[in-house]
Amino acid sequence: MTPPPATAAVDMMRPTTVPQDSQINRDVMSVTKGVSWQWGLLLSMALIGVAQAIFTLAYQTYVGLGIAGYQSPVFWGVYIINFVFWIGIGHAGTLISAILFLFRAKWRNAINRGAEAMTVFAVLTAALFPLIHIGRLWKFYFLIPYPNQRALWVNFKSPLLWDVFAINTYMLISIIFFFVGLVPDIAIARDRATGIKKVAYTLLALGWQGTGRQWKAHNRTVLHLAGLATPLVLSVHSVVSWDFAMSIVPGWHATIFAPYFVAGAIFGGFAMVLVVMIPVRRIFRLEAYITDYHFDNMSRFILFTSLICGYAYGAEYFIAWYSGVEFEQTSFWLRLFGPYWLSTWFMISFNVLFPQLLWIKKLRTNVPFLFVLCVFINIGMWFERYVIIITSLSREYIPAAWGLYIPSLAEMSILLGSFCWFSMFFLLFLKFLPIIAIAEMKELIIHDKAHAAQESH
Amino acid sequence: MPDLDRRDFLRLVGLGAGAAATAACSDPVEKLVPYVIQPEVITPGIAVNYASTCRECPVACGLHVKTREGRPIKLEGNPVHPINQGKLCARGQAGIGRTYHPDRIEGPMARGADGNLSPVSWEDAERLLADKLRAGGNKTWVLGASRGPTVDGIIDAVVSGVGAGGRIVYETFSQDGLRQATALVFGRPVLPLFDLSGADLVLDFGSDFLDGAPNSIEYMRQFSDAQDVAKHPGGGAKMITVGPRLSMTGSNADQWLPARAGSEGIIALALAKAVADRSGRSVSPAIASALSGATANVASETGVDPAAFQKAVDLLLHAKSAVAMPPGVGATGTQATATAAAVLVLNAVLGAVGSAVTLPEEETVPAAANQDAVRRLTEHMKGGKVDVLLVHDANPVYSVTGGLGFAEAIKKVGFVVSFASMVDETSAVADLVLPDLTPLESWGDAEPRKGIRSLQQPTVRPLKDGRPLGDVLLAAARTAGAAGLPDGKTQDVLKANWSGSNWRQALDRGGEFAPAATTGAAVSDAIQGLSVAMPKLLGSGDYDVVAYEHSFLGDGRGAAMPWLQEIPDPVTKANWVSYAEISNGTAAKLGVKFGEVIRVDTGAGAGSIELPVYPRGGVRDDVVAVAIGQGHTEGLYASMANDGAPGVARGVSVLSVLPDVSDEAGAGAFLSTRASLSKTGGFSRIPLTQWTDNQRGRELIPEVSLSALAASKPKSSHFEADEGGHMDGPPFQYDMAYDASPESEYRWGMTIDNDRCTGCSACVAACYIENNIPVVGQEGQTRRRDMSWIRIERYIGDGDVSGGYARRPHPDGEQLGKVDVRQAPMLCQHCGAAPCEAVCPVIATYHTPEGINGMVYNRCVGTRYCANNCTYKVRRFNYFDYSRENWPGLLGMMLNPDVTVRGQGVMEKCTFCVQRIEAARQPAKDQGVPIPDGAVQTACQQSCPTNAITFGNSKDPKSVVVAKASDEKRSYHSLQILNTRPAVTYLKQVRRIADDSSHETKKGSH
Repeated sequence: MTPPPATAAVDMMRPTTVPQDSQINRDVMSVTKGVSWQWGLLLSMALIGVAQAIFTLAYQTYVGLGIAGYQSPVFWGVYIINFVFWIGIGHAGTLISAILFLFRAKWRNAINRGAEAMTVFAVLTAALFPLIHIGRLWKFYFLIPYPNQRALWVNFKSPLLWDVFAINTYMLISIIFFFVGLVPDIAIARDRATGIKKVAYTLLALGWQGTGRQWKAHNRTVLHLAGLATPLVLSVHSVVSWDFAMSIVPGWHATIFAPYFVAGAIFGGFAMVLVVMIPVRRIFRLEAYITDYHFDNMSRFILFTSLICGYAYGAEYFIAWYSGVEFEQTSFWLRLFGPYWLSTWFMISFNVLFPQLLWIKKLRTNVPFLFVLCVFINIGMWFERYVIIITSLSREYIPAAWGLYIPSLAEMSILLGSFCWFSMFFLLFLKFLPIIAIAEMKELIIHDKAHAAQESH
Repeated sequence: MPDLDRRDFLRLVGLGAGAAATAACSDPVEKLVPYVIQPEVITPGIAVNYASTCRECPVACGLHVKTREGRPIKLEGNPVHPINQGKLCARGQAGIGRTYHPDRIEGPMARGADGNLSPVSWEDAERLLADKLRAGGNKTWVLGASRGPTVDGIIDAVVSGVGAGGRIVYETFSQDGLRQATALVFGRPVLPLFDLSGADLVLDFGSDFLDGAPNSIEYMRQFSDAQDVAKHPGGGAKMITVGPRLSMTGSNADQWLPARAGSEGIIALALAKAVADRSGRSVSPAIASALSGATANVASETGVDPAAFQKAVDLLLHAKSAVAMPPGVGATGTQATATAAAVLVLNAVLGAVGSAVTLPEEETVPAAANQDAVRRLTEHMKGGKVDVLLVHDANPVYSVTGGLGFAEAIKKVGFVVSFASMVDETSAVADLVLPDLTPLESWGDAEPRKGIRSLQQPTVRPLKDGRPLGDVLLAAARTAGAAGLPDGKTQDVLKANWSGSNWRQALDRGGEFAPAATTGAAVSDAIQGLSVAMPKLLGSGDYDVVAYEHSFLGDGRGAAMPWLQEIPDPVTKANWVSYAEISNGTAAKLGVKFGEVIRVDTGAGAGSIELPVYPRGGVRDDVVAVAIGQGHTEGLYASMANDGAPGVARGVSVLSVLPDVSDEAGAGAFLSTRASLSKTGGFSRIPLTQWTDNQRGRELIPEVSLSALAASKPKSSHFEADEGGHMDGPPFQYDMAYDASPESEYRWGMTIDNDRCTGCSACVAACYIENNIPVVGQEGQTRRRDMSWIRIERYIGDGDVSGGYARRPHPDGEQLGKVDVRQAPMLCQHCGAAPCEAVCPVIATYHTPEGINGMVYNRCVGTRYCANNCTYKVRRFNYFDYSRENWPGLLGMMLNPDVTVRGQGVMEKCTFCVQRIEAARQPAKDQGVPIPDGAVQTACQQSCPTNAITFGNSKDPKSVVVAKASDEKRSYHSLQILNTRPAVTYLKQVRRIADDSSHETKKGSH
């Protein structure tokens, strides 16, 4: 990615008036201050959404998965779609905080905290779905390899088992990464808090004093964690993609799946970052920190990953045709024109066609447009997984067994619940932790000030 | 308790609540109780078989009732019984359910002053019956099916003893037309016997001889033996089917003459004339006279394409031993006798009479009453001339055609006694219900043919407070003071009847079986001037109503059986509901699509029925075909009770709108009316287990032509090396032994001969009952949650890559006049390189050392990855806790104790009947030998009437399964290109008549 000319970038990055450090502290921490009725309403809605999903899940666990829409031959449905969707969302955060950190893409500083938080919450959401999905939820621990009296072991050949490892590793690393980055900011919150909050922040701040030695250790930790997390960004979704690619199902069994899924995940994740950050920026008046430059960069990234997705879609169809294998050809032909044609065209339009508008520079910084586009991209990415999973399964090798799957009310309830679950975490995060990495923001401003000083000489 | 203060109270409440909560947490513990005194024949864990007789239809096949710890758990064919020879059809298999059925009546009931049936004691009930018999005199009538010589004898003795008006031997499908035709053609009113084993061409005049028709289990065996390409190098028997609708029987044909409904006789006579004329065979003057009545304009009168007719004639001329099968239920119109006579004449011209067609020396089953007799009784009832009506083994309120008004007439009868053991429409209107015992609980016998005497013995104590029909009748008649009754109870009468036999041996073998005594027949002069016309149809509509016998429901008696409702119709693949089969052209004309509801208005009986349409290529434009059997308002499964609507009819009964019509000789006619069809605008989802019959050129069920079979080099599959060489498929001949552990002596394998598969679905029924497979009901089936481990796939031709677009397609590949049906059972292939095994994260499915694809239910967490990855789609998921819900009442008692009942959330699938392998292992181990070939029979194999399935050890080079699988011209594996190394080897179906029109298989181009 070519950055814009240095001067232009600086112009765009620089808040109109360079804020003082204390101003930054105040601006950012003001987000956490006070509880508005709107916030309360949103949180209540989220909690109700979570509660109804828990009820559905309890009922489903009791009576059986029959209340979901599964029917032979489609044995995976919305739960797995949600799983892949949320894991995908969880990719942008790590990409922004780890890979862009290693690339020293400083513009990430304004959005990385939000993105990281989003990652953690998305992974926490995604990790629930394999459990919701399985037929005997109460036996989920059979999937974990540990020495046990049942003399049972797991099948290391199964991609689903790789998934167990991939998700858990990713969840662990992203939580640690998130937390380590937070420590200096928690210290700021600690310094401004009183009462019970003070105690909690004090515990979480791990005795942060901001000494040089602590900063040095902190930076090294972040660096190492970034190094650890970087391969994970690529590996986790690759492993998830192998759930499909390792199978023999026409439409799944393709070598392109790993890069295709990773690109899709980053694409969807970036779109989700914007969907979340645009309202936050607006509501909490953070325009000074999240600027057109960020939007421009994010848009370029989205455009780029959209092109990769488009290429992957094209490659899939090409290979299906070129292979000469009728099973594959039929599977893909029916994706486009079969019973699920609408989802496929949603996917292609929302993920490939609409983002092409980002070639237009004005639209890249048009915030309302970006918001709408990103909502569409997220819908498109959900449908991408829907298309991959459902259409492939519904039209496999034996035409006599061909069938159809329509999501049931229960699955919709849990889909809604997953968004509420995610929002609940995010709303709580807004009120308890700084949404922008204060220390890193200051770092950026210091650089900026230095540049400004040089220019004035 | 004066000392109880507030704290103690709270403590007690807390304790109580805690205890209740704890108790509610787990299922109650049920302990196994050992026998204190071990019964002589029962060894826990070892099944005991008792020979008995099947009562599901008048054929009376021999049974082996497999019991475990004193409970019948499965019905199997009696191998020494000459009719079924160890095989049992789906209906027979399901018969076990009658004993455990939740619909069973608990005990005797009488209609009280309040108009409701309420329980009474047997003493009161029998006294009441005796009073009525005494008072009824000759205004007493008995109506019911034949129950074998002994019980029939008791009934007849009681009827004459009490001076009753008479007895109507009632069968819904009386076959009286055929009997009268035999009288006409051969001079004796008997049902002729057909032997297809020597045939090289079979003509099916809508006979249903491979499904519903009597003796179909025997015909299936004979026909498939006659077709066997190994025994008949010329390719074996061909088959031509004639009729307006492609039935299951017709699906097995090589040629189809889609004649107008009821024109079968005209065609038969025309064929006979053409054959007589062209072959120059000399025919008797009587036949010549009969043939002179044949039409010259076959095409215009019957709607058959002249070229197709000529082709049929050519086939007949080339055939050495052709047999024509007379019409079944769906083709019996007002000309039923003449039609059947024409078919018999054709047999005479073909030279089949005396060899393939013989007459029994003596009929041993009382002839079922014809329509005229039933009509007379109904008139008596309407006229108040019947005071007491005793109904046994019949459900006339449901099964008598609507036009006769039996349901109204029975209300005028003073006193109706029902001997039904399960609730039905007739017992619901009875004044006295005296529940009979089921065939598994009671004594009886049967003599379906002279010389074939079959015994029926109880295998379990009565589960409900019922009494045997014979005992109740005898007791009541004695009380009523009747004279001339046999002594003792049914059992004593039976023993007396069998006094000339070795009782012990007869019990052991299931009866006494001598070759049925038959005689040849001479064509009588009475057929001179035989004329066959189109049947006269009542009603004013444009469409002939073809009411055909459902493969499983019979005349409706199968509707109560959940398995028979659940197993999809072999042709339409629909279950649980009624539907009207109309042609695609008719559907377009009416503006209806699959599942849209139409009204079929005949103006007779109930007037009209409303039901969803099933457009097919396999029916004529001028026909609406509806299966008989649904439309019950009583019963858990027969009505909608199981779906939450008791008293609401499941589907519709086409019988209710058929007029009262009989043929020339008074036999009942089911092809009796025309109907007008109209769109209602409604929609009703038809559950389908298979949505398309297009195999898209995937060679899932390929066929091989006779010429390819005769050629020296086996024809290669298009998946194997083609010209370009880049489509090299995996090698076909792989060593299956590799797929089991090297230490293991066994690699279990199976072969399925598609050429022998008729689609009858006996294997499916056997699998359901052997393996405790739950029935998911209409709602489950609508959502395609079929749990069956084996299914019959049905495709039309090789297929092409079109279609698959619709959200809800239905099988529509059939074409009028063309029959290229491919049927084969699909079950777990027990792949050597199983896709399911690799992906299971918890090793719940794995490869056993003996090569079976094992499934450990306890280990399964239900990720369902295996089901996604199964290329054959044979894995089933327990969406709900079926084990808790799906065996209501006593049905749970028939579960096979050797097979785990699967819980909620786990996968299941075919196990190759691993429990049967284990059962065979122990005796072999005791003798220190390997399990002998043939010692293990899977349930599907055991029931298959045509022996299409073989099972055995693929590591044993001398085993039958290896011998069959190494037929290199016909053997193939399903989806061979995927190299899953299946243990199941299929043998290709043989195309015996080359199709003239070019088969174009579009392959792989979009």
